[in-house]
Amino acid sequence: MDVAHSQSGHHEPARDRILIVDDQASSRLLIGSVLEAAGYTRLAYAGDGVEAIEWLAANTADIVILDIRMPRMDGFEVCREIRGRLALDLPILVQTGIQEADCRVDAFKVGASDIVSKPLNPGELVSRVRLHLERRRMIGRLQRYQDRMEDELRAAQSMQLALLPGPEDVAEILQPRGAAMTAFYRASHMLGGDLWQVFPVDETRFAVFMVDLSGHGVSAAINAFRVNMITAGLVQERADPARWLAALNRTLVPILPVEHFATAFYAVIDAGAGEMRYGVAGAPPPLILRGDGRWEELSGRGLILGCLADAEYECFSAQLGPQDRLFAYSDALYEDFENPDASLGAEDIAMAVQAEAAAGSDAFSARLLTRLFGRPDAEFRDDLTFLLIGLNAS
Amino acid sequence: MEYRSEFTGSPVVVMIEGVLTFDDHERFRELVGILADQAPGPVVFDLSGLTMIDSAGIGMLIMANDRIVKRGGGLRLRGVSGQVAKVVELSRIEQLIPIG
Repeated sequence: MDVAHSQSGHHEPARDRILIVDDQASSRLLIGSVLEAAGYTRLAYAGDGVEAIEWLAANTADIVILDIRMPRMDGFEVCREIRGRLALDLPILVQTGIQEADCRVDAFKVGASDIVSKPLNPGELVSRVRLHLERRRMIGRLQRYQDRMEDELRAAQSMQLALLPGPEDVAEILQPRGAAMTAFYRASHMLGGDLWQVFPVDETRFAVFMVDLSGHGVSAAINAFRVNMITAGLVQERADPARWLAALNRTLVPILPVEHFATAFYAVIDAGAGEMRYGVAGAPPPLILRGDGRWEELSGRGLILGCLADAEYECFSAQLGPQDRLFAYSDALYEDFENPDASLGAEDIAMAVQAEAAAGSDAFSARLLTRLFGRPDAEFRDDLTFLLIGLNAS
Repeated sequence: MEYRSEFTGSPVVVMIEGVLTFDDHERFRELVGILADQAPGPVVFDLSGLTMIDSAGIGMLIMANDRIVKRGGGLRLRGVSGQVAKVVELSRIEQLIPIG
């Protein structure tokens, strides 16, 4: 869109360029003098459709005032050319006589923005020109605003993606501790309120953390950034899921507005000992997929984060054998609000994860999404995260 | 989401029906506003007609509880079942809002 003439919010007729197309010199002069009297000085003229298209191909106009009946190329054809081949979105004001009443609908069909009747009423002509130029200016401003917002959201989005550990970061912590992990994250609206992290606890143990801030979009993302900063400071508590969640909760209560909260899962895994200690704060219970094909849902529960400052969290434990896998996921994976009957149960998820994990880690996430939703790029109404941890790093 | 109540008696019983999600924010705030004006005592949300709730819906229940408790009343939930019962059970909000 050409917005060079609309940098200012004020109406400045002198800056607008108007093309007047009419085969009668007297009509061109009349329109020109009316517009000049209203302060429009950048006027150009064309005597028929061919001249008009030639002029528009080489110059820029802010509005076209167009006659219908003309030799060589009529007004309808000019409209089609402007909207089609030249792909211009400038307003086109078509003039029609009384005898051409039935061509009004046709004019709109081929792309006219508005119609003025002949003989021209000077006041009406000026009002309509002004209206369409104002509208064009406003659309230009909205477009620039939207472009800027999209740029900013994209920048924020890459910052948010940079918060998540990359495959190398994960491998650096998990591999020496006898584990491997596949992670998937996708925000529903560019920015999201899901976050996951891994931490080293000691030489044999590591911790994995997954959180879902309520809401989505910008506010959820800002809260995810805050959680990321808070958890970086929770070093003393890392070995103890209950203390770790309680500390995070205490910090979140004064930060989150009353109707906002977070659900979370935090686990400390000791692959060598085959043991996991974990705490839950309202998160969907992760699944343990046994090497022999059985599966179970973790039974630990705990209050959502950010609501009650002195909330206490329990530490639960579970056995994780060398062939077992842990699958943690956010509620977007199974909740389907558009079609509640299609909401997945834990068994559906467990079966799908078992089958796809057995087929190897390559493209696991895409295969799982395809198995569950028919395609790897399925859309979700909420941010989606899932983590698959295997203790057999090979 | 739809709600029905006489807004009289003690407790004031509000039937909440349908689906409670992010999209119902405005309507739910309207309900909380009416309760603040007309129900000074205890309030019961009967959720037996509620079929689904999302995290924004849980947040709205917490917000209603906060408002009602702050003006000296109390909120209780009853009739949770199905998906709503599951979400309520996972979130452990009975530690914030009594259920039953």
